Amino acid sequence: MSPRQRKPQHKPKARRAGVTTVVVLRLYIAGGAPNSLQAIANLEAICREYLKDGHKLEVVDVLEHPQRAMAEGVLVTPSLAKLTPLPSATVVGNLSDKARVLLALGLKRKVQ
Amino acid sequence: MILKNLLLRLPKGGAEQQAIAAGEIDAIIDHSSSNVILLPAARRALRQVAKNEASNKAAIANSLLAGLPHADYRRLLPDLELLTLRFGEVLHEPGVPIRYVYFPMGCLISLLATAEGDQALEVGLVGYEGMVGISLVLGVDVSSVRTMVQATGPAMRMDAARFHQAFRQSPPLRCELYRYAYAKLALARRTVVCNHFHAIEARLARWLLMTSDRLLSKEFLLTQAFLAEIFGARRATVNEAASALQQRKLITYKHGKIRILDRKGLEAASCPCYTKIERSGKREGRRETSPQKEKTA
Repeated sequence: MSPRQRKPQHKPKARRAGVTTVVVLRLYIAGGAPNSLQAIANLEAICREYLKDGHKLEVVDVLEHPQRAMAEGVLVTPSLAKLTPLPSATVVGNLSDKARVLLALGLKRKVQ
Repeated sequence: MILKNLLLRLPKGGAEQQAIAAGEIDAIIDHSSSNVILLPAARRALRQVAKNEASNKAAIANSLLAGLPHADYRRLLPDLELLTLRFGEVLHEPGVPIRYVYFPMGCLISLLATAEGDQALEVGLVGYEGMVGISLVLGVDVSSVRTMVQATGPAMRMDAARFHQAFRQSPPLRCELYRYAYAKLALARRTVVCNHFHAIEARLARWLLMTSDRLLSKEFLLTQAFLAEIFGARRATVNEAASALQQRKLITYKHGKIRILDRKGLEAASCPCYTKIERSGKREGRRETSPQKEKTA
């Protein structure tokens, strides 16, 4: 039984080595507030440049869905959460510090 | 106070506090009260966005502004201020410099030519189709009439100096307002003729139809005293005319509230001035939109 249980644990590693790793991101914003708009623009630019089609981005407006922010433990907006691949990471602010965002997304090595 | 407490609750020296210090945060989520607390700068920005959206919607509600090419309207927008005009408010007095021009949206404004003392006679009516302060268009910066709000509602106002500037810079605005000024002059002339030759009942019917057209409503508030003032007649005379229209089941008039029951009948009861005014208004309206739009494009 034990070798079967171990097998799934190895699978993600195998996938990570492949080319099509999908990065799942969630950006929490507050309506059309300035930093929120800037965060969207900055993140879209980064995704276009580094992730192309290999990502899924969900934008959550906390003014419309405050319960989502509560349930998901968000403290401030704008705030970006990388859900997969693990390890998950969070970046807060308007995402104008590109290096910090790339580091959180695990893309820093690719840039260098 | 709430904000201060929330700031203290965030992890000390954490990324959140640093981002707030850098001005990169719009809102803090208060988990204890399940609220989203906007920071002051974000709140101000969102309020401005909401205001702009409201003015964008408002423009459609004034035909003069809606008739402008989009680029010209966008240039006017920062100087237009949305406000509510209330019944009885006097906007301009004769001989007094005009501080603001008004573009009514849901309100109605009477232009009253004044005689000695408090005596006045209505010489024009401005609703969503027009502008108040038209003498500025003709190069005179004082008003020749008293303008008084007759029905409460929203309007856009613009500072006279800004208006002068916009008027100089925008040929479509200029053309549109020249035509509108002509239409107002024609209406004033027609009103003089109407007041002299037509019976009060027919004049009242015309006036009710014009009011209804400009308010886009069949029901509005009106006091007899006000009606008497704008018709330059005694209250009893106005009351008689209103009762006659009521007896013919064209309108109901109760506690200062008028309701038009039979529009076609009221048109038949009014003097021919109504159709003449409305027809010439529509003709002007059609001319207003076509040629200038191409010029600015």
